[in-house]
Amino acid sequence: MKSKKLIFQISALALTLIIFFAFNVSMYFMLTRKLSNNFSTATQSKMIDVSLYLPHEKGSDLAKINSSLHLSENLPVLDGAAALVPVYASVIENVYPKGSVTYEGGAFSDDNFYGENFAEDSKMQYKNTVRGYKAIVDGETDILFCAAPSEEQKKYAEEQGVELVYVPIGLEAFVFFVNSNNPVENLTAEQIRGIYAGEYRNWKELGGADRIINPVTRLSGSGSQSAMDSFMKGTPFGRKSLLAIMGASIGFSFRYYMDGIVGSDSVKMLSLNGVYPSAENIQNGTYPITVKFYAIYRADNENENIPVLIDWLLSPEGQELIEKTGYVKIEP
Amino acid sequence: MKDKIFIRVFACVLALCLAFTIAHAAYAVYAYEHCSIIQFIAKELW
Repeated sequence: MKSKKLIFQISALALTLIIFFAFNVSMYFMLTRKLSNNFSTATQSKMIDVSLYLPHEKGSDLAKINSSLHLSENLPVLDGAAALVPVYASVIENVYPKGSVTYEGGAFSDDNFYGENFAEDSKMQYKNTVRGYKAIVDGETDILFCAAPSEEQKKYAEEQGVELVYVPIGLEAFVFFVNSNNPVENLTAEQIRGIYAGEYRNWKELGGADRIINPVTRLSGSGSQSAMDSFMKGTPFGRKSLLAIMGASIGFSFRYYMDGIVGSDSVKMLSLNGVYPSAENIQNGTYPITVKFYAIYRADNENENIPVLIDWLLSPEGQELIEKTGYVKIEP
Repeated sequence: MKDKIFIRVFACVLALCLAFTIAHAAYAVYAYEHCSIIQFIAKELW
């Protein structure tokens, strides 16, 4: 009798442990293992490894041209989105004097919060889109390299009584991507709007596998989310089921960020309306969603080198630099 | 094992398991809000 009771008690304890263990292991494999946090040191490279794009440093992966413009004083502070770090860092490399990029403690480090230790007086900063827009409005940055602003960002500038000037300096494709094992290769723009509106809930409906669709969105105010809001053309985003998180996802980003900066063999870009987002298809205009990216500055900024630098960016030399960094030039 | 002891041990095991699961779920919710979607999609099981 006593031994039966003991067996029951041990079984009850073991069963409890097994149930919780199985639940947590399942949750880990289906969800937690996929969640890399952008803000931790170990995963910063998922946004961009800035150490590869440091001006005037040996081994930096920056575009070099034979620039006729060389600034020596009143250097505008440049900042921007993760995807455009290679562009504005290349501008500094080609136009600014050595010593214009400085670091707290004297050497580059990316192990503090959000990454990089650019000194306050450094002419290169990296705040990315959301913090970058605030910085340009607040007057902490002279020129911001970014995609078009979100409504919130425009509103913030208005509330602060700041007029921003947006100068388009290059083109980029807005792309959709899925896991490389997903058999779907092409979607139409209407199908993608339908996915995000909640009209399509299973890949089977689009010629794919029998998996729930997980339409992933991004941080509100980020450059790619603002581009997605615009792509939806007023169609509201649908509510997705809780189970979608376990399904097969579709996401969006900018081509160069996907292809050139982060790069992962485990994801693939989709053709849109039958056209793959290659550099050639962006340049010849056949890929349907190209977006402009901008050099943005405050209209009341009196730094005389801002218009000089903007004019240079739009000149053949500046556009050559844009092309050499892997983007598409804005002028034919 | 006496019933009283068993209930205490069982309650402790249950509380620990629940606490761990709640912490795991809370971390997942937080990390989902901040994760890289490229990595999220790249690590999908197929």
